[in-house]
Amino acid sequence: MLEILQEYGVLLLIGEYPHGKLGGLAMTLIISFVSLIATFPCAVLIALARTGKNKPLKRLASGFVHCVRAIPLLMLIFWAYFALPVVIGIPIDATYTLIIAIVIYQTAYLGEIIASGLEGLPEGQTEAAEALGLGYIPTTFRILLPQALFNVIPGIVNQLTTIIKESSLGSIIAVPELSYAMLQVNSNEVTKPLQIFGILAATYFVLCFALSQATGVLERRISNRRTGRVVVEAVA
Amino acid sequence: MIEFHSVSKRYGALQVIHDISATVEKGTTIMLCGPSGSGKSTLVRTVNRLEPIQSGRITVAGRDIHAKSVDVNMLRSGIGFVFQQFNLFPHLTVVDNVMLPLRRLRGQSRRQALPTAMLMLERVGLADRAQSLPADISGGQAQRVAIARSLILKPEILILDEPTSALDPEMVGEVLKLLRELSGGGITLMCVTHEMGFAREVADRIWFLKSGRLTFDASPDLFFSQEAHPDVRGFLSSIHRNH
Repeated sequence: MLEILQEYGVLLLIGEYPHGKLGGLAMTLIISFVSLIATFPCAVLIALARTGKNKPLKRLASGFVHCVRAIPLLMLIFWAYFALPVVIGIPIDATYTLIIAIVIYQTAYLGEIIASGLEGLPEGQTEAAEALGLGYIPTTFRILLPQALFNVIPGIVNQLTTIIKESSLGSIIAVPELSYAMLQVNSNEVTKPLQIFGILAATYFVLCFALSQATGVLERRISNRRTGRVVVEAVA
Repeated sequence: MIEFHSVSKRYGALQVIHDISATVEKGTTIMLCGPSGSGKSTLVRTVNRLEPIQSGRITVAGRDIHAKSVDVNMLRSGIGFVFQQFNLFPHLTVVDNVMLPLRRLRGQSRRQALPTAMLMLERVGLADRAQSLPADISGGQAQRVAIARSLILKPEILILDEPTSALDPEMVGEVLKLLRELSGGGITLMCVTHEMGFAREVADRIWFLKSGRLTFDASPDLFFSQEAHPDVRGFLSSIHRNH
């Protein structure tokens, strides 16, 4: 195992960079963060449409959510990979293809999380904003969304772990992320699949486990802040 | 200042407001009381259109509030409204809660709005809690902040929907003291309350509602006398029995 890490460590971390394309773990992280950031505004719009009063928008948004949730991400990746270039007439880099597919897919899921955050707010918040004479925009962006998003931070971080795992599907369309790098290593070292995929599994585990631990800490802090209890730092 | 003309409201088959006609004179204090479910909260919520009505007409300062030309947000910003549950915005500090209308409706910057907000907080005795979050202050303090927020745009009308009902008994006093100061200060005040002693002390008129009807509209002296409507006497004696 150590030999593998010694020989391919750099490839696994940053791919062929600086001599070739960036890849490996660095690429996995970049794809994940970029996907999450690009998903975020789309998810907010879907959540607002889902929880809003406009009936056609509401139907459109829930139609989108139901459709996306009923197909595997892999299908979306294939569609983005094979169909999108035909539709828009220019070839797209595999990395962007993967990001686009993840953004569409995650918009549905993150949208539901944010919608649940909005629906979880007490009715009195909207009423108080209305009674002050605030219109839709300030009520939504100054009163409701800041609270809802704050309350669903754990859900959002949780979605990041999902995205990290989903980005491994990029290896199928040759996106040079961590899993793809591992497949390359595996084809060089044909006799060590157990070690190679053991390292791969361990890497994903460390990343995602750390994030889900962070989610737990965030959840506690958020509930403390809302109930007015002083946040007591854990003394190790 | 506020006129109700044959106002009715239904939730489906349930009639909650029954043909109410009444007038609130400018600068007076009206206390609304009655058994729970009598429609008093619903009635005050119709004034700033938090509750739609099915028939009748409500005018504020002579204008029909349901007229097409009336901008609902403009109407509401001219009417202070205080809720039973305070409804402060928990993500904003006390002073940010109070200055929010100045900033979002009057377009003032934080720096412009701050002195006005601090003055208002001083008036309700909470200038020292300006930077606290709502979760860190008591219920009585929260309600005083809510009142400060509702007054920040200098509305001519202030409506309070059971402002002390969600408070611990020891905090009721501080909120009533503040309302006492407000009453008679030129503002038109409508307050739903179960504090009958308070109502007797500050009200110009007391309205008694039962089953969605305004059964009795009287001065405090008449309201608490033997000449009051039998329903009122029954209500008052049932309150006394419970205390």
